[in-house]
Amino acid sequence: MSTAKARESAWRLSGLERRIVLPFLLLLLLVQGVSLMLVNGAIGQSATRSIDSDLQTGHRVFTRLLEQRAERLSEAAMLLASDFGFRSAVSSRDVATLSDALENHGRRIGASLVIYTDPAWHPVASTGLSIDRVAALLPVARMASMAGPAGGVSVQGGRLTLIDGRVYQLVAVPVKAPRTVGWVLMGFVLDRSVLQQLAAITDLRGAVLFNGPPTRTLLSTFTQASDALMAPTPEAVLCGRELREADRRWRSCEFALDTGLSDGRTMPPLRLVLAHAVDEALAPFERLQLTLLLLTLVGVVVFAVGSAVMARRLSRPIRGLRQAAERLSRADYDTPVRVPDERLVGDELAQLARAFESTRQAVQHREHTIGRLAYWDTLTELPNRAQFVDVLHRRLQPDAAGVVAPLAVMMLDLDRFKHVNDVLGHRLGDRLLRAVAQRLAAGCRGADMVLARLSGDEFGLLLASHGVEHACTVARALLASLDEPMQLDDHMIDLSASLGIAFAPDHATEPEALLGLVEVAMYAAKRRQLGLLVYDTSMDTRSSASLSLLSELRRAIERQELRLYVQPKVDLKTGRVLGGEALVRWLHPQRGLVPPMQFIPFAEQTGFIRQITVWMLETGVQALQRWQDAGLVMKLSINLSTRDLLDPELTDRVGRLLDRHRVSAARLCLEITESAIMDDPARALQTLQKLHELGVHLSIDDFGTGYSSLAYLKRLPVDELKIDRSFVTNMERDLDDARIVQSTIGLAHNLGLTVVAEGVETDKAWALLARLGCDEGQGYGIGRPMPSEEFLGWVRHWQAPSNEALHVDTDFAQML
Amino acid sequence: MRLCCWRRALLAAGVAVVLGLPRGAQATAVTVQALDPAGRPLAGAVVAIEVGGAARVAAPGTHFEISQRQRSFEPGLLVVQTGTSVDFPNRDTVRHHVYSFSPAKTFELKLYNGRPSAPVVFDQAGVVVLGCNIHDQMIGTVVVVDTPLFGRTDAAGRIVLDVPAGEHRLRVWHARMREGTDLLAQALKVGATGAVAVTVPLPVAAVP
Repeated sequence: MSTAKARESAWRLSGLERRIVLPFLLLLLLVQGVSLMLVNGAIGQSATRSIDSDLQTGHRVFTRLLEQRAERLSEAAMLLASDFGFRSAVSSRDVATLSDALENHGRRIGASLVIYTDPAWHPVASTGLSIDRVAALLPVARMASMAGPAGGVSVQGGRLTLIDGRVYQLVAVPVKAPRTVGWVLMGFVLDRSVLQQLAAITDLRGAVLFNGPPTRTLLSTFTQASDALMAPTPEAVLCGRELREADRRWRSCEFALDTGLSDGRTMPPLRLVLAHAVDEALAPFERLQLTLLLLTLVGVVVFAVGSAVMARRLSRPIRGLRQAAERLSRADYDTPVRVPDERLVGDELAQLARAFESTRQAVQHREHTIGRLAYWDTLTELPNRAQFVDVLHRRLQPDAAGVVAPLAVMMLDLDRFKHVNDVLGHRLGDRLLRAVAQRLAAGCRGADMVLARLSGDEFGLLLASHGVEHACTVARALLASLDEPMQLDDHMIDLSASLGIAFAPDHATEPEALLGLVEVAMYAAKRRQLGLLVYDTSMDTRSSASLSLLSELRRAIERQELRLYVQPKVDLKTGRVLGGEALVRWLHPQRGLVPPMQFIPFAEQTGFIRQITVWMLETGVQALQRWQDAGLVMKLSINLSTRDLLDPELTDRVGRLLDRHRVSAARLCLEITESAIMDDPARALQTLQKLHELGVHLSIDDFGTGYSSLAYLKRLPVDELKIDRSFVTNMERDLDDARIVQSTIGLAHNLGLTVVAEGVETDKAWALLARLGCDEGQGYGIGRPMPSEEFLGWVRHWQAPSNEALHVDTDFAQML
Repeated sequence: MRLCCWRRALLAAGVAVVLGLPRGAQATAVTVQALDPAGRPLAGAVVAIEVGGAARVAAPGTHFEISQRQRSFEPGLLVVQTGTSVDFPNRDTVRHHVYSFSPAKTFELKLYNGRPSAPVVFDQAGVVVLGCNIHDQMIGTVVVVDTPLFGRTDAAGRIVLDVPAGEHRLRVWHARMREGTDLLAQALKVGATGAVAVTVPLPVAAVP
């Protein structure tokens, strides 16, 4: 079926081919048709001319035959006339004798009619006709005698005349004794034999007609008398009549036979009709025509095939080019464009094909470049995030059995890279990234891993999963590869990195979701300084409902589902309540109270944190105003995220807010984590500077978890420093932590900062912190976070622990 | 030809001598002028005058000769008086068959050599056309007249004959007249004295 169709399409001409072949074929047919027509016309004319010429020749032959006959008869008559006995009889003047002699001698030469006249053409004796009828013949006879060759012998006496329905040929000769003493006139009946001779010589049929009325056939070699033949001829048309006779076509010509008497009254003229068989005359021409027709047909076929081949030769490369163009439009740039042979198709097409090819190469090159730019990181020559996501997407596709091959996805983020960049400059930072990429790539070499640079100092890693242990081993090896310090020019740089791992399909099956989880794990690892961490749902801030969480969060602000909680802050020496830290709680209509850890990290990642911050500031300042109205002088600390620091309008907004609520800027304290500043220290510094100028207190939150350089810290316009709870809670048992807290407090005091300890959970910790000189504290041991509305009540009932309670383990304090 | 003319002159002289002298002074000179239809003088015309309208036969023994030499008659034209005998000697090596179908004298001398045994006597006036059955081109003419007074016109178409006074008949003929035509005749009156001049037109064919 398909081969039959293919064969059919091979025979069918394409549009272009048709447009080339058909006009030329039609043109050829036209030319051939016209030339055939012309040739046919010429042949017809030629045949007609040939026939007419044959007929004219036939007439001449007929005339010549008559002349020859007349000559023969004349000679015979002359011989007779010079016979001495005949002359003697003539001289006898005895008419009876003369008549006998005429009859006798006439019989000798076969004359039907013999007449003797005196020299003056008066009839003397006659055989066959009475003397008075002879008289009518004499003028003819005299004419027969007159023309003749010099010498006086008449030979051209072949005058025809009609007597009693028969054609006679008359000859007249003189009788000399020795001078002309009379004339002998002889008539010979003209019979079919002349026409038969003519037919034998020229193949013409003929008839001698009496020209009526009525018309009568006198002699004929036609097999049957034709009515058409008998019909009187129009004067004008002497030649060219078509006759049908005995099932054959004839073309006839008519000739007047000179009877010597043009005067039709006395002697109606005779006419000779000669006819030529048309078919026979046309036969050779018809063969010629047939040959021509055959030649035309062969020519047309050859031309059709030839032009089709030519057209195909042209159209095939065009089709090839079209296919090439289609391939290009399908973004298939790998198949080269075939350049057809110039000798076959001419250089235009070949040039076109070459142009196509160079276009293809250029597009392919550009595509390649774009691909590189789109999918490769130009700095490290590693795949970029887009490619990594693509690969991930591909690898996450279920196979034929619907099973997704287990994958481990890792994300590695250099610790403190921003700082390196800031201190050493971007050029060195870039080189450092390249060096890191090289090390990581070396670690991945040979393994079925995909390493990519996802962003800044963030690298992604993808490998087939063989269980958590295996993935962790690989991850540890990668982290270990960064242990050795990097030597860049004169700088020795110690690097560390945090790495998160997540598994597909266990944790997620969508690339972006998976990456999100890995990022969560990585940040968790970074936060906890664990090096690497496998994702666990407990870290999940971006559960499967993350998207709905975002929209719910949005709604939460509109529907006022967020609650402002305050955790009290007290003066560790006096026990006086100084203020509190504002915390957000979400009173979800279905889920109840949602802890901040479940939506704050998510809000930070999505940027929604800005709205939350705005809400916090708004609500917090309102609370301050309320407390102020109630006569309490309190400070409220509100956390700012990285994104808030990068918001250039933050300062203005805070300023407007304070003005609106007539709250002193000194009442407001903004807490910033180390890492929030480190993300973009320059801009953060700018924002902090402005806030500081506004008069707002600034606090470094979670101090000690990051890698803030003290030198840098010195430049920050901050007022207080909060020691992370991880140090505080361990401080009672871990001497190192206690020393860190101690030195941090000392350092902060040296820089003129107030120190706040977080995570004060026991009175013992309070006592120790107070002993170490820490200024303020907050923690469960003092007061849990409470709705801001309850804060005033709590403050009124607040009882600082007694001094005894604040007694610190002497040994421990001793060791410090 | 020269011989022929000379002979004819001699003959004419002879006639004049024989016939003219006994008549003595009564004779009158008759001048006959022959003209063709165009009015030009016609030479060679035969002119004869039949005296008193009566026929006169030649004296017995009057004899002439027409020989055949080089396949032609010689002389081609001979004028004789009725009763004259003419010999036809053959001087060629080939034989001749001389004949005449003319009514004035029909005869036939069958194939012969040399001189035929008997001469042919022309005993009837008229024009006798001679032919040879072997040689069609040989044509000769003998004009037979019933008078001793005859002759032929000279180059000026004239002839002068001495004729006694009286009522006569003038006869003329010319070779170019139509075949079978006899001598033309007209009356001629001749007085005793004074010359007579007659002009005769002849119906001759134009010279080809």
